[in-house]
Amino acid sequence: MAEIAARALQTPLAQRVRSLFGGRRADVLLIAVALAAFPIVTHRAMPRLFHQSDALVLSQGVALAAAALSLNLLLGYAGQISLGHAALLGAGAFASGILTGQHGLPMWVGVPVGGVVGAAVAFVLGIPSLRLRGLYLAMVTLAFGYAAEQSLFRLSVLTGGSAGVALPRRLHGNTLLIGNPGFLAVAMVVLLALWLVDVNVCRTKLGRAFQAIRQDEGVAQAFGVDVTRYKLAAFTLSGAFAGIAGALYGHAVGFVNSETFDFQLSLLLVIVVVVGGLGHRGAVVTAALFFTVFPRFIKGLHGYDLILGALLLMFTVSRHPGGLASMARERRERKAEREARREAEAEGEDIEDAGKLPSLPELPRPPAMPARAAAGDAPLLEAVGVSVHFGGLQALRNASITVPAGGIVGLVGPNGAGKTTLFNAVSGHVRTQSGRVRFLGEEVQDLPAFERARRGMARSFQLIGLAKELSVRENFLLAQHQLATYSPADALGFTRRAASVERALDERAREAVAALGFEQFLDTPVRNLSHGQQRIVEIGCLLATSPELLMLDEPSAGMSPAAAENLAERLRELPDRLGRTVLLIEHNLPLVLDVCDHLYVLHLGEILAEGEPAKVVQQEEVVRAYLGDAAA
Amino acid sequence: MGQTLVVGTISGGIYGLMAVGLVLVFKGTRVLNFAQVEVGTLALYAAWEVTTQHGAPWIVGAAAAMVLALAIGLLFERLIVRPMGDAPRMTVAVATIGLLSLMLAFESVYFGPSPRILRPPIAGLGTKILGVYVSPTQWLSLGLVIVVGVGLAAFLRRTDFGLGVLAAADDPTAVRLVGVRLSRVSAFVWGTSAVLSAIAALLIEPTIGVIAPGALAGLFASGLAAALVGGLTSLSGAFVGGLVVGLAESLVGHYVVSSSVPGIPALVVFATIVAVLLARPGGLLGGRVATA
Repeated sequence: MAEIAARALQTPLAQRVRSLFGGRRADVLLIAVALAAFPIVTHRAMPRLFHQSDALVLSQGVALAAAALSLNLLLGYAGQISLGHAALLGAGAFASGILTGQHGLPMWVGVPVGGVVGAAVAFVLGIPSLRLRGLYLAMVTLAFGYAAEQSLFRLSVLTGGSAGVALPRRLHGNTLLIGNPGFLAVAMVVLLALWLVDVNVCRTKLGRAFQAIRQDEGVAQAFGVDVTRYKLAAFTLSGAFAGIAGALYGHAVGFVNSETFDFQLSLLLVIVVVVGGLGHRGAVVTAALFFTVFPRFIKGLHGYDLILGALLLMFTVSRHPGGLASMARERRERKAEREARREAEAEGEDIEDAGKLPSLPELPRPPAMPARAAAGDAPLLEAVGVSVHFGGLQALRNASITVPAGGIVGLVGPNGAGKTTLFNAVSGHVRTQSGRVRFLGEEVQDLPAFERARRGMARSFQLIGLAKELSVRENFLLAQHQLATYSPADALGFTRRAASVERALDERAREAVAALGFEQFLDTPVRNLSHGQQRIVEIGCLLATSPELLMLDEPSAGMSPAAAENLAERLRELPDRLGRTVLLIEHNLPLVLDVCDHLYVLHLGEILAEGEPAKVVQQEEVVRAYLGDAAA
Repeated sequence: MGQTLVVGTISGGIYGLMAVGLVLVFKGTRVLNFAQVEVGTLALYAAWEVTTQHGAPWIVGAAAAMVLALAIGLLFERLIVRPMGDAPRMTVAVATIGLLSLMLAFESVYFGPSPRILRPPIAGLGTKILGVYVSPTQWLSLGLVIVVGVGLAAFLRRTDFGLGVLAAADDPTAVRLVGVRLSRVSAFVWGTSAVLSAIAALLIEPTIGVIAPGALAGLFASGLAAALVGGLTSLSGAFVGGLVVGLAESLVGHYVVSSSVPGIPALVVFATIVAVLLARPGGLLGGRVATA
């Protein structure tokens, strides 16, 4: 918390004071001064600005804005939905109520403990639901919210029964903060603190991992993100925010019972976050204030605001999934794009693929990740007898391949032969029924995909394995996930350690982007690039993971013939200049013959032939597999 | 004890209907419909309007309820689900949350918070069999659950269109190739599940006693747990799940003194969902589920 507060105080004046006293000590001093001055704000300034009743409504609004930040973190960043968020708020509120109301502890103990309790409840709920893909978290939280409302919040052992709990605004001993305007100032400071933590989440590996998970879990894993763990982290953090928000809400209204945190509140939070704009913290806070404060000041709405909210929610998700915030942003982006296009046309440049691929970035291996090699003569990758079936369909039957270090091995075959399935089996993106996969001399068939990625397996995807909503720079940062070695606590506080690691990663990302010649796209969302450009960024990102093996799935698909020809040269650079090994799926046979050292032909899920590329493609059964019986 | 089993079996059958509605939509369009039960609640208001306000017999009210539910299901499918096309399924699920919120808000604005009461479908005393008392409404529930369940199963398994519905989730292309239009499948599952929700609501209403916004949340939670027991994709599994949840609720309620622990059905439902996810996420009868 000290770290967060210090960041809040990084004004020019604060920096001058810091230069006088030097570093950390000045932070402490500034916080002390701010704390000393705070009672003046709560007791003198705020009461002059706000009426008692207005301040109460605004405090509730601020608490719900904090709750909206909480759900936004989960739904907007990590793409997981909670339909029982009100129960997490309730857990925090009851915890703080029991501490402050029944045990006489001050509010500044109660509210953070509320956050801890919210986080703990979320963590426990997340364990059964988040290791699965899909809407399981929504179901578990829905059922938990129902159980909390009907039962848990009414249990006398937990909350003191149906009567509810009082939440006094105890400052210390028997001193209470009675005035609503003063409490509003407290609530705003807490909201600000959560806001700053949220900012830190977004500028560190946490936010990038969350966003990658929302956009494509498989891609996140391929960059070494432990998806289950990060989903659990997102929900736990969201639970902490919710617990704090609930405690704030409770202290604002002074009393809570099981009906305070009902299903309607959970629904309202979903409406606020989706309509405001998933992932846009400012929009979400604004929407929360709008939906909670507005109806209480305008008389005669009689619930029509909720009807309007529900209609807006359906309209938003079916027509503008990004919410109101992104409607504005999309308009800005389109305008900027039009202008860039006009400028480029004026200068006579072709803004699409220039037909030539830039050279691949050298990207020296970071000191933390030296080159890895299998012991002795063992091949880099060896898959033995791999079988995969989906329901009744046998996609891969007893397939074996060997990839020696330092060359390009090709994998060809007709559509549906099982090439991508073999990739998925090797990289851990599909469950194998039998077979072994040995990488760098170790058996990896039982390891999850992210663990194989960490050991130096990088793979591309047919539909581009990038987080497409993120910018080119952010994708390069995401690719260096394993190099972001700071702890989650460092990330939340954005400590010096996290800051310095992030600076180094950013430098490496810029270097890579510059080597690709893509400086002008540094902050462009990947989805706005052409397919060919996306492919180049993808290969660049794979290199940024510092892999030993690059598995490329049809890199030439969607490229112009000129670009594809150029691709051959770039691919050869990988083993020849950069010392990497490549496993390549390709339909473009001239390209395959040009670059591959060894070739495997896959047909109907089985390895049909292997050997020197030029010889293999002339074998009778290979020709037959490709062209049918008549040709052979 | 016998009484407990009868109550559990009958409410279990009703949960099964709710669960089948959820599973149909999930199989047909891969969407979890969070508005499922509220369609039934709104339909109950229609039945109340027709019977209590205008003096029509129960059966007319029930018909009105089912017609309204069907209209809501089809409209939502046509106006929201279909235009969303291939949008992520999560997004469509959020749209159903919008529909749920809309119906809740509409109910409280139009009908107000005061609860409404629907008279039971069949008046009169129940019959006593082997020392167990069964009310006319319970007989009706039992009969209707069996008729609807068997009828739906026959339709889905015996007709080409029904088989298309069952296969739609696994292989949309194959379904299109055998001449079943996917838009029809989509309309069918949304419409049918809405009607199933209305039937389940009509049957559970005498037990709940009142009609109010969100009053049937428990029916939805139980239906969801039941569907999950069947792995979200098995129709028979959903029915079995309904019985499991219904019996568990009434048995636990029978043995735990309810004054010390309020809301036992809610706890049973929550525990069932967590237990299924921990032990067999693919359902008791289903297969594997993709893990992260």
